[in-house]
Amino acid sequence: MKPVLTLLIFLLLLACARQEKPAGELPELVGYNTHIRPIINQKCISCHGGVRKKGGLSFLFPEEMFLPLEDSIPAIIRGDAENSKIMQRILHHDPEERMPQKADPLSSHEIDLIRKWVDQGAHWETHWAFIPPQHPAIPDVDDKENIGNPIDHFIRARLQTQGLRANPVAKKEDLIRRLSLDLTGLPPSISDVQAFVSGSLSYDTLVDRLLQSPRFGERWTAMWLDLARYADTRGYEKDAHRDMWKYRDWLIDAFNADMPFDSFTLRQLAGDLLPGAGPSDLIATAFHRNTMNNDEGGTDNEEFRIAAVIDRVNTTYEVWQGVTMGCVQCHSHPYDPILHEEYYKSFAIFNNTADADRDDQAPTMKVYTHLDQPKADSLKAYLTGVKTRPRPLLPKENLDQMQAYELPIMQELQGAQKRVTRVFERGNFLLKGEVVKAGAPEILQAGKAVEINDRLQFAQWLVSPSNPLTARVMVNRIWAQLFDQGLVTTLEDFGSQGNKPSHPELLDHLAMRFSRDMHWSLKKLIRYLVRSHTYMQSAAVSADQLQKDPGNIWLSHAPRPRLSAEVIRDQALAVSGLLSEKMYGPSVMPYQPEGIWKTVYSNAKWIESKGEDRYRRAIYTYIRRTSPYPSMITFDAPSREFCVNRRIATNTPLQAMVTLNDPVYVEAANHLADLMDQHPGSLEDKIGFGFEKAVFHKISSEALRTLVKLYNEPSPEAGGSITPMSQVAIAILNLDQFLTKS
Amino acid sequence: MKGTELFTELRIRQLQMQTRRHFLQKCTTGLGALALGSLTGCMNRNVPGHGKNPFATKSPPGFAKAKRVIYLHMAGAPSQLELFDYKPELAKLDGKPCPGSLLEGRRFAFIQGVPKMLGPQYRFKPCGQSGTYLSELLPHFSNVVDDACVIKSMHTDEFNHAPAQLFMHTGHGRLGRPSMGSWVSYGLGTENQDLPGFIVLVSGGKTPDAGKSVWGSGFLPSVYQGVQCRSDGEPVLYLNDPKGMSRDQKGKIIEAINKINEESYKTFGDPETLTRIEQFELAYRMQASVPEAMDITREPASMHALYGTTPGQSTFANNALLARRLAERGVRFIQLFHWGWDAHGAGREEALNMGFKDRCKEVDQAMSALILDLKQRGLLEETLVVWGGEFGRTPMRENRDGKVMTWIGRDHHTECFSIWMAGGGIRGGMTYGETDDLGYFGIQDRVHVNDLHATMLHCLGIDHEKLTYSFQGRPFRLTDTGGKVLDKILA
Repeated sequence: MKPVLTLLIFLLLLACARQEKPAGELPELVGYNTHIRPIINQKCISCHGGVRKKGGLSFLFPEEMFLPLEDSIPAIIRGDAENSKIMQRILHHDPEERMPQKADPLSSHEIDLIRKWVDQGAHWETHWAFIPPQHPAIPDVDDKENIGNPIDHFIRARLQTQGLRANPVAKKEDLIRRLSLDLTGLPPSISDVQAFVSGSLSYDTLVDRLLQSPRFGERWTAMWLDLARYADTRGYEKDAHRDMWKYRDWLIDAFNADMPFDSFTLRQLAGDLLPGAGPSDLIATAFHRNTMNNDEGGTDNEEFRIAAVIDRVNTTYEVWQGVTMGCVQCHSHPYDPILHEEYYKSFAIFNNTADADRDDQAPTMKVYTHLDQPKADSLKAYLTGVKTRPRPLLPKENLDQMQAYELPIMQELQGAQKRVTRVFERGNFLLKGEVVKAGAPEILQAGKAVEINDRLQFAQWLVSPSNPLTARVMVNRIWAQLFDQGLVTTLEDFGSQGNKPSHPELLDHLAMRFSRDMHWSLKKLIRYLVRSHTYMQSAAVSADQLQKDPGNIWLSHAPRPRLSAEVIRDQALAVSGLLSEKMYGPSVMPYQPEGIWKTVYSNAKWIESKGEDRYRRAIYTYIRRTSPYPSMITFDAPSREFCVNRRIATNTPLQAMVTLNDPVYVEAANHLADLMDQHPGSLEDKIGFGFEKAVFHKISSEALRTLVKLYNEPSPEAGGSITPMSQVAIAILNLDQFLTKS
Repeated sequence: MKGTELFTELRIRQLQMQTRRHFLQKCTTGLGALALGSLTGCMNRNVPGHGKNPFATKSPPGFAKAKRVIYLHMAGAPSQLELFDYKPELAKLDGKPCPGSLLEGRRFAFIQGVPKMLGPQYRFKPCGQSGTYLSELLPHFSNVVDDACVIKSMHTDEFNHAPAQLFMHTGHGRLGRPSMGSWVSYGLGTENQDLPGFIVLVSGGKTPDAGKSVWGSGFLPSVYQGVQCRSDGEPVLYLNDPKGMSRDQKGKIIEAINKINEESYKTFGDPETLTRIEQFELAYRMQASVPEAMDITREPASMHALYGTTPGQSTFANNALLARRLAERGVRFIQLFHWGWDAHGAGREEALNMGFKDRCKEVDQAMSALILDLKQRGLLEETLVVWGGEFGRTPMRENRDGKVMTWIGRDHHTECFSIWMAGGGIRGGMTYGETDDLGYFGIQDRVHVNDLHATMLHCLGIDHEKLTYSFQGRPFRLTDTGGKVLDKILA
């Protein structure tokens, strides 16, 4: 069986390869980015790049590529392939001399491309992502049916060339559930579904209503918490508690208030440096205090302070620039034109804050719960002599009565305290090299040199029109949230080792709309995306679609991903009527099996929350880095040690065990069963009601027969808590259509 | 439960997805790499792991002596000088101040000022035909020492517990990298689809210092993280049916779910639905197979006598016996942790002259029984067993805060420590590497953690430089940029 399988894969692969890349034909004009860079990146760059420059040749920078080599002749003579050493080495008859070394020779097509490119003058092009986006023209398309907005033009132009057509609009029941889960992370209400299906509630009104819901902020905060590596503990051995939740609440408010993304950026990276920074600006800076602390006895605080700064540099570049800086810690970037020194210029920007892996987390600020905060703010203002109205009574006592929490924040060192940054040789902090000044990598400055001395100037540059990446990376991130994968599938890597965008013009169109026309408004961007037909189309997929585009790169149908860890939990609680709508505050501890937290040198205990706190949305669940909430991990939530841009979705038996056996889900099923039992009418009516409550469309007669049969199965162990209706409810809450977005 | 046709279709779909993934992900650089691409599942990078069983058995590209690993980690770092690394010269220096030359430029966790040298606290003698020196604290192990290779020249980069445990298990001293078990199950899948492929068993009352990250999947898909099985309570989280539900009832519920899911598949044609149907059936089977595998009461009295086990406890001995049961059933990577080896002398329960002896008793009989038992079943030659801590201990006595302490202990030490390996491609009855007369530095055949990992992977038939995963723009591997296979210890 196996050899046959391998052969089959091989044949299919060949078939695919032929389809995607018609070999033979040479293009009129050979482009560096389109034709040459892919060959170099795959075959040459590991020896002729940022890490190794064998024979003095590197293909990373144009000036290096055309530099005279050791024998004082450059490898590439523009316009003269015949006499260029690059061609001689590629074509060498001696396998020892032939390039690429110790590898298969280049194909004749690849060789022809390089020859033609050199003959045409060997024109260099900057990698697409480092060129600032422009407004692209909106393509005209043949298929004009159901066009929602310009997004559909870009999508259909590609579908057309792939021989595919967009699906029709999804069923209304599926569409409202999809929209509601995407915008608020929760299922719609039955009444909204009825109004929408009957036509009394329009799609646009529905979109606006969901965007205005306080649930919107909670849902998009869930996305950002992965990027912020948010957790309620410090990491490593003791993994002690710290109060970070106020930052999570800040995010909820920021998303709900539709804080423009430029301002959102400035505050989180440099809120403390903003002129007239208020408490809320300081809270935002906790973004970069989510780095880990090592409180283990006998550790070197400077070593872990540096580890935190490195994490801040890497996280910032991944989140805002889609550029991976990890490599550059130790040496120049092997694939992208970023130098080793440039890493430490960025390091210098973040190397000047007062935190230093201290046990007391300093610097921190006192924060209060959402109810207490306004009172505390006005009291503090009063105490510091700022006039407030109404004048608070007995200010001192009041302030003492409110429970204060210490939130770690960023604080810039001043004057003589400022640190000098040196390059760490090979990334080792004990081997200090040259002193460097703060600055951004030149390639990202896109030809417009900027002066950057601190975090604020850095953040301002990130959101300035000259930055080539921030808007693209962010629209791509939002796109991936709604369409399951990004236009650039490697959300974290827009560099030359990342994937090329499937729809480059659409990416730029969205980036320009978002950063210019929409003034960085996320709500406007999301509204624009969900009003496209591409979003609204059905998720059904035919054999033909699956064959032509198994990964749905061209979006001839809506994706049908499994719901995220957070939504799986929230949805079960919501449809069974258990979900608490309480917002904000210290993280809560819902049911967790006994004995999960057995940790060294710490008396921390999981103490189950009381009352409605057991049924809060998943973003309020306490996250201990060394022992995260088990059912969340099972559904691919990260442990928040580092910034994660993309969760990899898996489909495992352990997930089935969570939704079948975890007492949280069983309790939800029992509640749903109660509601079904209370529903008037026949058994069929009750079951149909429960089904519709979960997935919002009418139950098919076949499914109804199956569930009625399940209900009527004799249950041999009488007296158990699992009633016949609970059996049915458990089944409903485990259906594929319940666990996925259709 | 029916659905043969569906599963035939599932397989075709998987094949399609797989092919496409190979193509799109560029994880192949030419056809040579395709072999490794399919070896490693190549789920990485661009497309989430749609529609594919990530644990399908994959045959290694190289010749594999070992099919599986049992890794016994002694969290807290046992003293090599009391167990494997016999230093008569150090005994002569006992109580003398440490020469300044040994202290210059060294980093210690707790030692301050000038500590005193501390001779071996226990007697040693040559054991077995090989004459390997062992301490009197390992009487059982002396019977199996001819099956083991003791490495005395291990060294590491990290001198605090959490980072050093991470380094030992993930090849990196900071959080975020995949553990050995994750790498191996990512590379090789597992042999028994009814059990998790990477199982973790913990004893000593606490999880290791670095928490669950030492069996985490890091940047690999989380499906590859270790599954902690417990010898008391539910063996796997959420494995037990809800209270009041019979197995028969559960079967009927799953049957109903899958029947309706087949209907969804007809509507949407989503291959992932077919995978889900399969996963629910697998969950059902695991609910029977896991408790069966975890139930040591099924073992005869002779086995309990051999291992020193008492059913119902979460002891190292019970876990060792479980390890053998799991190995028999084809689990790929079985990881044991036993906590309590941090013998600083700061407390009675861990001191070298006190609690340390108890720790040795807790593990000596059971780890020796494990080797014997695997051997008599013919499993030792295909099972690689590794025992060790995360670093070593100083030849100086710890003097926390510069004071003489009540109990006897040693501080953390990175430059040398001892581990042993047995079975699965390792030559038995030998010692590898030497340390200086004080047991302070390795002086011959030093073995870095990366080298240990490279050797383990080699025994499993994997070239450590080829098992890679792309993350944050670069390919990562367990051995980072280092690692060499220890040819001399291979059978």
